[in-house]
Amino acid sequence: MRPFEDKIDRLLSVPPYAQSPEEKQASLLEIFKEQLNYGCECHLGYKNFIEHWPGDYRNATHVADLPFLPVGILKTNPPLSFVNQDQIKRTLTSSATTSQTPSRVVLDSPTARRMTKGVVSIVRDFIGSDRRPYLVVDTPGLQAGEEMGARGAAIQGLQPFASETTHCLRLGEQGELQLELDKIKSFAQGREDTELLVYGFTFILWNHLVKPLEAAGISFHLPKVRIFHSGGWKRLQDQAVEKSVFNDRLAQVFGTSPDRIVDFYGMVETVGVIYPDCPAGNKHGPVFGDVIVRDPLTLKPVAAGGRGIVQVCSVLPTSFPGHLLLTEDMAQVLAYDGCPCGRRGISFRFAGRIPKAELRGCGNLETKRS
Amino acid sequence: MHSMNTLSITDIVKTVDSPAEISAAAARMRRVISEEEISPSEVIARFDSWAKNLDARELDDLPGIAFLRMWLRRGTLEPIVSRELGSESADGRWIQEGRANLRAFPVGVVGHWPAGNVEIQPILSMTCALLGGNAALVRIPSGLAELTRALMDKLVQSDTDGRLIRRIFMVSFKHERQDLQAAMAQAVDGAMIWGGKEAVLQIRALPFPHWTRLAVFGPRISVAAMDANAWTNPEEQQTWCLRLARDVWQFDQQACSSPQVLFLEKRPGSSVVPFLSCLQRAFENENRAHPRRMIPAVLTSTICGARASWLLENAEHRAVFPAGPDWTLLLGSGSDIPEPVQGKTLTVLEVDDLRDAVSKWDGNVQTLGLGMGDAEKEKELAVLAGKRGVDRVVKLGRMHVFVSPWDGVDLIRPMVRIVRHVSSTE
Repeated sequence: MRPFEDKIDRLLSVPPYAQSPEEKQASLLEIFKEQLNYGCECHLGYKNFIEHWPGDYRNATHVADLPFLPVGILKTNPPLSFVNQDQIKRTLTSSATTSQTPSRVVLDSPTARRMTKGVVSIVRDFIGSDRRPYLVVDTPGLQAGEEMGARGAAIQGLQPFASETTHCLRLGEQGELQLELDKIKSFAQGREDTELLVYGFTFILWNHLVKPLEAAGISFHLPKVRIFHSGGWKRLQDQAVEKSVFNDRLAQVFGTSPDRIVDFYGMVETVGVIYPDCPAGNKHGPVFGDVIVRDPLTLKPVAAGGRGIVQVCSVLPTSFPGHLLLTEDMAQVLAYDGCPCGRRGISFRFAGRIPKAELRGCGNLETKRS
Repeated sequence: MHSMNTLSITDIVKTVDSPAEISAAAARMRRVISEEEISPSEVIARFDSWAKNLDARELDDLPGIAFLRMWLRRGTLEPIVSRELGSESADGRWIQEGRANLRAFPVGVVGHWPAGNVEIQPILSMTCALLGGNAALVRIPSGLAELTRALMDKLVQSDTDGRLIRRIFMVSFKHERQDLQAAMAQAVDGAMIWGGKEAVLQIRALPFPHWTRLAVFGPRISVAAMDANAWTNPEEQQTWCLRLARDVWQFDQQACSSPQVLFLEKRPGSSVVPFLSCLQRAFENENRAHPRRMIPAVLTSTICGARASWLLENAEHRAVFPAGPDWTLLLGSGSDIPEPVQGKTLTVLEVDDLRDAVSKWDGNVQTLGLGMGDAEKEKELAVLAGKRGVDRVVKLGRMHVFVSPWDGVDLIRPMVRIVRHVSSTE
């Protein structure tokens, strides 16, 4: 075991949002520097990248000064890896709705273990640690196999909170998703007073649960359900579904309050770190990770109130260079500490994907590689 | 006949929402063309005055303004008109050729679809048509309307009798509005189309009348190259680097004439390190003098991606860049043109022989910017480049000098008809 792995495990055992920004900065900075050292030992190309970074990371005083990789770099095939092939237990692939080319990240056993612990630590802070009946609004089987997609990873991430698991979708003959009404009815039966957990991708919940149930005039009375969803709003944009409308109608279907619905941001590339909305509607970074929002003009962190490109930071992955990643998403920083929900550190809100450029003229360059 | 300028800037640059607005404007301009002729020399006089009016402090920060001021000068335009239309054509008279008389006439209303990435291109494109006596229906890409309005406002002040601005209608609308794109196409006798492959194909597919003349300036890239005599010469290094930095900085490296890669011909025993240090200093100086005011987030993301993938894919690759996205030098070797990045990202490749690189080109390279110490080798390279589809071979530092021919074709001549009159009375 490498020395920094002990330090990561210690961070996974403390409350995820209790550290002051200063404490968190110091502990993360130390681990990230060790991980950068380790990465340089593992991968010649990565070492080349780190050595060309303007400024020596060993002298950095802030996490924001450390070299970061753009997330698109994880779309290479074979995937970037710090471990040997025989150590890879699983490969995660992103949903690739924007670029069509999925990211692929490799997990060894320690990284996979920390991935589970990370999600548990975060979700526990929102719903407690009790296990409860878990309704997956998706098909079974997404978590099987050596390759797992974003949906499977998210479903699996919540599995430690499940006392039993029900999947309520199946694949039709044309490969389309179909709601299995009897399964959801059976899941809801007699559980009006039971703490329940529901998870689905945002567009799947809307298209394959809310809309069919509304069309059939069916709703439930499950006031203690907690509904988690992720995957973003891109696929609902053409239906012009506002978040408030989504929450209201989803809550009506389950017979609960909209504040029991939690939208979280997560990427397979940031294994083990998800960003749920807090009751104030903001997102936070846990003690084992952080978020930096960078000004596109300077790449420096924006001031509170500023908007920029999101960099996600996580000490959890050690099998691939996923600890400091510049994403393709935008966010606004609300504050660097002091969210009304009580969670310490940065509070931010996502502001969508980086806008693609309008059709460019002679700058829309094309060339061929021979 | 109109005797004074009654049009204001808001009449000339408009956001339109209906095809009828476009066809009405085209019909109005067509009447203007038939009622009053304007000779190239009269257009040049107005442009020269416009250039002087553009020399205003409030415009100094507009991208491309220095270039536009130079382009509109009499001294720039008269030689171009003379070369393209003939030395006696400037005043619009008939010119005798044997038993016939020849005279240039406008094709009519010329539509302009400029690229969205070069701020002054709507105006540059428009001026080419106006010099031929045409009217100009110009689509302003979203994001350029305000800048174009500021520049056109100065033309309104210069064109006191309104003879030019009555021939101009600039429209702004979202590029997805196919009905408005089609209305523009149906209204024009000529079209100047600038842009990337997708944009060009979309515009060419519009319902133009069968007689419409098209001048297409499609997607191209440009390349810089230096022989060892030039880049190893310590007395000239700094000047070459300064020139190259200027070519990269203009138009934020997004023009088709912007260098994306620099090929350096190797010389045994000579290290490129001193030259690259010099180039780095030139980039730093240029950046201090002309810092970016804004950048699309997607370009920042692309620049970060290019830096990372270059260094990760090959441990022999090197790079120099600041912490921000201001500029990037990617260093390696090879004779293939790498994927262009833009955003002031120059790939510098060492190559055994410059001919190895040039001989691989397939018509995609528009301009070859050269820094050569060996004149004979330069001549040889120019021939080879011409054979491989290059349209302009120029000295480094002059890659964006907008003179005719551009992209291998004239700028004014394509939108002019040469009418031949053989008298029946003789």
